[in-house]
Amino acid sequence: MSTPAVEAVGLVKEFERGRRTFWQRLRREPDQRERFRAVDGIDLHVDRGEIFGVLGPNGAGKTTTMKMLATLLEPSAGTAKILGLDVVRQAREVRRRMGAVLSDGRSLYWKLTARENLEYFAALYHVPHAEARARIAAALDAVKLDDRSDDYVERFSTGMRQRLVLARALLPDPELLLLDEPTVGLDPQSARDLRDRVRDLQSQGRTVLLTTHYMEEADQLCDRIAIVDHGRIVALDTPAGLKRTIAATEVVRLEIASGNGEAALLSRLERAGSVAHHERDDGVLSVTVHCRSARDFVPAAFDAAHAEGATISHVEVVPVTLEDVFLSLTGRALRE
Amino acid sequence: MRGSLLAADLRAFGAAAMKEWRLLRRYPTLFTGFLFWPIALPTAYVFQARGYAGDSQAALDAFASRAGTTEIAGFLFVGWAAYMWISMILWGPGTALRTEQVRGTLEALFMTPVSRLVILFGPIVSQVVWALWMFAIVGGALILFFGVAIPPPAALRALVVILVAVPALYGLGALFAAVVLRFGEVHALVQAVRGVFTVFCGMTFPIVILPEWARAVALTLPPTYLIGDLRKVLLAGSDLASLVPDLAILLSIGLLLCGLAIVAFRRTERYARRGGSLAQY
Repeated sequence: MSTPAVEAVGLVKEFERGRRTFWQRLRREPDQRERFRAVDGIDLHVDRGEIFGVLGPNGAGKTTTMKMLATLLEPSAGTAKILGLDVVRQAREVRRRMGAVLSDGRSLYWKLTARENLEYFAALYHVPHAEARARIAAALDAVKLDDRSDDYVERFSTGMRQRLVLARALLPDPELLLLDEPTVGLDPQSARDLRDRVRDLQSQGRTVLLTTHYMEEADQLCDRIAIVDHGRIVALDTPAGLKRTIAATEVVRLEIASGNGEAALLSRLERAGSVAHHERDDGVLSVTVHCRSARDFVPAAFDAAHAEGATISHVEVVPVTLEDVFLSLTGRALRE
Repeated sequence: MRGSLLAADLRAFGAAAMKEWRLLRRYPTLFTGFLFWPIALPTAYVFQARGYAGDSQAALDAFASRAGTTEIAGFLFVGWAAYMWISMILWGPGTALRTEQVRGTLEALFMTPVSRLVILFGPIVSQVVWALWMFAIVGGALILFFGVAIPPPAALRALVVILVAVPALYGLGALFAAVVLRFGEVHALVQAVRGVFTVFCGMTFPIVILPEWARAVALTLPPTYLIGDLRKVLLAGSDLASLVPDLAILLSIGLLLCGLAIVAFRRTERYARRGGSLAQY
């Protein structure tokens, strides 16, 4: 049995909040800064050849986890292994066998061409001189930048720069790729393009561990997904498996102009379905309800509104998404 | 395995220098600055010396007895050229790290398996080009404007002195780089150290004029030996054998500083990995 691509046990990362002045250090005063856990005991097991997603809102601890796996941060507790190698004790070997996209196009040299950037990083990744040219050509081809290889990076669009960062991560011919929010800031076409490239990587037999806060991206790309919130994994399964955790097949979103009887109205809606989320904004009550059949629930919702003197102004019926899974697990929307 | 790792790191070293050279070439106007300063600064000091001493033989004799040469222009130009090179190296590794940090490339570099020494010193190898350019300009100016000729054997001996000084200066530069990783800023510290070198190391004056305690300080500083020995081989015609004690001290200080720098850099890199400050500025 082969070792897993990624294995983390009880991974913790603590940071200090606030500052400790020079004089406090000089006087050796006790460190009274508040410590908070960005990552709070994450266990991960990523099999070789899968696309594994870490889905969560901003600040959930996704990037911190990735940086620990990429050897850029030292864990405060717990262990992590990449391809069987310890990320702290065997950091250099880990770096040799892994590619990572943990940043945007700023991490490139804009005054160099795409090829010059890759030539430099190929040397830093210890790609043998005899192989470097072919490896660079393959990486550029993989991200569809071979026709722009001799252009300065400063002339690239954001999407092209992000693809070049991915090409750089391919230089060591890695078995594992870590991609942290790879499509953030990209236009829909560029994001779709990059997702296609990620699928190509899987078809070449590589393992991909990616983080995202885009539920559609996680749903479309990933074989399995870990949903994280406040530094902890709150659910882990296939996208379909996660959606099955909600006892509903459809989601109904209502916008209701209601008066004072909000609590009574919600109580009535709760009897017909499961109210997952509600919020009032500018006099309009937005309610998200999980139900087995929208066909049965919607008439009941109109009856409930009528009984409480409220008016439903908008109805939207959608299938269950990972957003709903997150909502049911945390009581918050991914975007909050 | 170790041999192939070293070879791969050396190749990366060359690539780092090449990358920096390519970036420099994209800003060609920088070269004009280096055409001007290596001549303008020491020339101002030559004029100053002439203004103070004029053609007074007594003043020239006094200078010769303290400096070991009658070549005032040569004395000042060599001092300045060495000082500018020292400044380059002191700023080099710290500035290289700082530039990568501000540019946003530092984390990408630290995710590669290459030795940290490559990241620290690779980029400043490209400055050898600047240094050669500067020394060529200085040599040309001395010949053209002041009639001071540097014989090729003396230039070769000077090259040996410079090579012996490299560990000490690069060690200091690496210590400053460690400061960058810890505090994110190093300019004030580098300026302070340059100030100390300016006062104590005899850049524009012979150190024998310093008070005894200041001379004792000067003899603990690597640039004192570098500047003094360069003048001896270039202007006084000294051979290398007579400089062996100086060069041994310079090399010892260099090895000590390099050892300190490696320990300091490892500690600050660990600090940055623990606190997540690698990409912060």
